[in-house]
Amino acid sequence: MKLRFSHILLLGLGLGLAVLLVMLFTGQKTWFSTNTPIEIQPNLDLQFKAIPQSPNTFFADGKSLREPVEGSLARGTTTYPLGPGDIDAAETANVEPSDLPKNSEFVLARGQNRFNTFCSPCHYFDGVSENSAISKKGWAGIPNLTRSETAALSNARIFHIISAGQNLMPSYADKIDPIDRWAIIRYLRTLQKVEGVASNPIAAAAAKN
Amino acid sequence: MFSRKFDKGVKTGGAILSAVAAVLFLVGYFGFRNSFADVGYRPEQPVPFSHKLHAGELKIHCQYCHAGVEKSAHSPVPTTQTCMNCHTVIKAESPKLQLVRDSYESGKPIEWIRIHKVPDYVHFNHSRHIRAQIDCKSCHGPIEEMGVVSQFKPLSMGWCLDCHRAPEKNIVGARPISGVFTNAMHKIEDLKKGAYLFTPIPAQVGTSTPITNPQFGGYHSEVPAVKVAGIPHPKKAGIGPENCSACHY
Repeated sequence: MKLRFSHILLLGLGLGLAVLLVMLFTGQKTWFSTNTPIEIQPNLDLQFKAIPQSPNTFFADGKSLREPVEGSLARGTTTYPLGPGDIDAAETANVEPSDLPKNSEFVLARGQNRFNTFCSPCHYFDGVSENSAISKKGWAGIPNLTRSETAALSNARIFHIISAGQNLMPSYADKIDPIDRWAIIRYLRTLQKVEGVASNPIAAAAAKN
Repeated sequence: MFSRKFDKGVKTGGAILSAVAAVLFLVGYFGFRNSFADVGYRPEQPVPFSHKLHAGELKIHCQYCHAGVEKSAHSPVPTTQTCMNCHTVIKAESPKLQLVRDSYESGKPIEWIRIHKVPDYVHFNHSRHIRAQIDCKSCHGPIEEMGVVSQFKPLSMGWCLDCHRAPEKNIVGARPISGVFTNAMHKIEDLKKGAYLFTPIPAQVGTSTPITNPQFGGYHSEVPAVKVAGIPHPKKAGIGPENCSACHY
């Protein structure tokens, strides 16, 4: 049979279809691209409005998220007024909220959750700091939180260290809410096996693990 | 009535035209679906940040950097300060981190390129899903294995609804690595075993039972025994809402 133009065209279309089918069935694994997805029909997918953390041409600084007006706070947030050096002021200023239940597994679990999230990169899951990610990467001298010196610190002082930072440790006031900082302290006390905690059966069980 | 040549021309032309139309239809119908066009999108970021290294090897929890995800609708991209918590000392001279140091000094944010995005007429609330103990992996895939993050799920409406209708089939239960609060204590020995961090907690994946009015969906109300103001209480994932206004403005 003589090869005609239409045959080549059909062959091409068939091949294209085959490639398409292969791509369809393996698409989730192979269709990696650095290009933004194509929008045939925009469908109001992209609207001119302020989306958190996206660029915005309306404001001079190009940011959608606005900085709070000087001297103001975003609703529901707090600020920690003391600097890293104000140790004496911290002792009286930081008072554990009375509505944080005592002997509560819920609070301890929350403390562990926040401790593992924010403290463990440096202080490890046990507070000894030895095998933490950052120690392994060569940051020497991360303090062991279970030492008797640290265990002897008051709750207010530890709250102060979390909130304002100390030495090379930055402030975590913007990341951890005050109530969660108190929960972390509760949990830390179980790691330190501080006296008085052991009498609490829940905390004792947590400390044993 | 027509010549043989003309008749053949019509037939061939018709065949070619319908083949072209079929291919165009297939490309249009399947090729530009989210599951095909969006999945795998992995833009080159300004800083070559590796989740595989930070989350996978160093086991830094998702929420260390994406803090606030359990309280806000969007999951915050970390501030430059977050990077500098460690990188003031670790790899302080690395040329790959030059942009981070510049941003830290100037206060101008790094312009990360957004990967996961629902259309602007949809409101997705991270905190509501995190508080239902749904792991990040459910929608973002195994981020801790990705050197360069790519979109893993289609984020299409059908995909959302699949999970809202049958969450127990689609949800990955909270894993310790994500930092999702589950109201459960972990043994420290388990946490030290790295593998445990990436294992979902089976008990947290609730079975979906329809609540009084499935149209409006909601959480199971059985979990929070203690309430402390300011702590987001974890709840068991129930059937998600299916009414339009749950997701659309």
